Amino acid sequence: MNALVRRAPLRSRGSVLPQILWAVAGMIAVVLWVGGSGYRQDLMVLSCSYALVGLGMYIPFIMGGSLSAAYSAYAAIGAYTVCIVAVRTSWPLPMAWILGPLVACAVAVLLGMATRRLSGNYLVAVTLLFGFAFQTWTIDASGITGGSSGMLGIRKLEIAGWQVSRQGLFVGSLVVVCSVAFLIERLRLSPWGIALRGKREIPLAVESTGIPVPALELVSLGFGAAVAALGGALFSGYNGGIHPETFGLNILFLAVFMPLVGGVGTPWGAVVGAVLAVQFSLNFPSSIAKSGSFAFAVAVMLVLLLAPKGVLGYLALLRDRMRRRRSDGSAAAGGKQS
Amino acid sequence: MSRPILLSGERLQKRYGGVIAVSDVSIQVGAGEILGLVGPNGAGKTTLIDVITGAQQLDGGELLLSGRVLSGPPSRRGRQGLARTFQYPQLAQELTVRESILLGRVARRLDSPLSLWLGLLRGLFMPVRADDEAAVERIARDTRIGGLQRRCGDLTLGDQRLVEVARALAQDPAVMILDEPFAGADATGVAGIGEAIRIVQRQGHGVILVDHNVDLVAAHADRIMMLDQGQVAFDGDPGECLKSEEMQRVYFGKRSHGR
Repeated sequence: MNALVRRAPLRSRGSVLPQILWAVAGMIAVVLWVGGSGYRQDLMVLSCSYALVGLGMYIPFIMGGSLSAAYSAYAAIGAYTVCIVAVRTSWPLPMAWILGPLVACAVAVLLGMATRRLSGNYLVAVTLLFGFAFQTWTIDASGITGGSSGMLGIRKLEIAGWQVSRQGLFVGSLVVVCSVAFLIERLRLSPWGIALRGKREIPLAVESTGIPVPALELVSLGFGAAVAALGGALFSGYNGGIHPETFGLNILFLAVFMPLVGGVGTPWGAVVGAVLAVQFSLNFPSSIAKSGSFAFAVAVMLVLLLAPKGVLGYLALLRDRMRRRRSDGSAAAGGKQS
Repeated sequence: MSRPILLSGERLQKRYGGVIAVSDVSIQVGAGEILGLVGPNGAGKTTLIDVITGAQQLDGGELLLSGRVLSGPPSRRGRQGLARTFQYPQLAQELTVRESILLGRVARRLDSPLSLWLGLLRGLFMPVRADDEAAVERIARDTRIGGLQRRCGDLTLGDQRLVEVARALAQDPAVMILDEPFAGADATGVAGIGEAIRIVQRQGHGVILVDHNVDLVAAHADRIMMLDQGQVAFDGDPGECLKSEEMQRVYFGKRSHGR
């Protein structure tokens, strides 16, 4: 008997309804937790902004195995685009939310083409340098970006004459993050996602099927940058401005670790990781640890040691064990009856 | 040979520094033909496949597939109609059996930068097409593969080879190149691989079957080419190959007395 037919599959093909139900339950829980607290609302919008950066990085890094360190720059491009359009033009602001991701996508594709012969540490080093260079440029180009003092007090988002309040942006950001995570999960299981996930482990075999792997990598980098830029746009749109230090090296490290902590098997892991990162960094009880960042670093190490597939990976493992135990139990009961 | 030629290579050469791995090898595969490529370790079989598929650069000679020059990176050769398996199975451990076969099936729709962008947008909103799912199930049935939702990382070596063959079959290739597909395969695996070969043959396409096991190759092949130290030692009928002096010399080191 072929070994391939031994065990029944336990995983679904990313069924839609459970995901939607979990996402709605999660959003309701977050809204209830926030209540009327402005501080908690700020924390959750920051989590959403970080989650989008993490989701952007999830595509080329976790799915495709290409670690680009320019994600702080892509998020900053999204944030600055909103501010520049708001301050220096009379264009409607929703346009900036589309323009920023498009600009970040184009920059990522150009940077990817320039670095296409690099891989591993060299690729990380060059893209990191780009991130630094972009941050320096935002300080130097004061005529465009406001220089070292950044751009503050931008006009509020208006959609069809309706001015979106901070509460509206908060709820909207939850919906946007859940929608993006949902769509990326669909993408992960689509033919494109299968090719990208295959490319991470077996690039020559994927190339041999006829798929141009370098182009696939460029597309993944471009799309990831666009998602990260959406996170930057959300940050500056909600906070009414941007500062050159906002998207520095720290966001890059967080974006790398967010999916690892939350779970690499699904993009929802980046969302869970972003919430954990923000809660540990900014909302950790000072009676337990004075530095929230230190607490997050310890949490990252513990998760990687005890649950290498992240929080969601561990939960999925527990669920599978319980299902298997239940099915073994019912099979044994059926055997006794017969 | 009356078959129309699908793949032809003339005076193919590959060197590694001073070592000649493939020397002036000419190879032809006709429509519906199964060519067995045999030879001992280090004979140059995998190198020959690698230069045909573009995994390694050719140092000399010319390749044609269906009358068109075969050149460029492996992706271009894949699009021209070559599909291959590898000496060490190349399956992503994370992908399921279904996804691995699907990869071969959908590759033709992700073959350019524009189609990759369109594929991304389609992937966000639309699941895998029903005809692709049906094709994967048909190929799995033909090659006797079950358990489509199992991860490739959990498979035995023989099963991994079978899935690799199924992925190559899903590409609907003009010429399918199988590098040691029977190594580690059990009886079901051998039968599944044999069926995949027959499907390609029935479609009027060609197969290059590489293996150490000459008896197994002879059982499937229409013609056998034996390589020794990068050169063609025999090219002809499988039955004659098994009885030939070249076979004795290459595999058992026996010298010919008649020549």
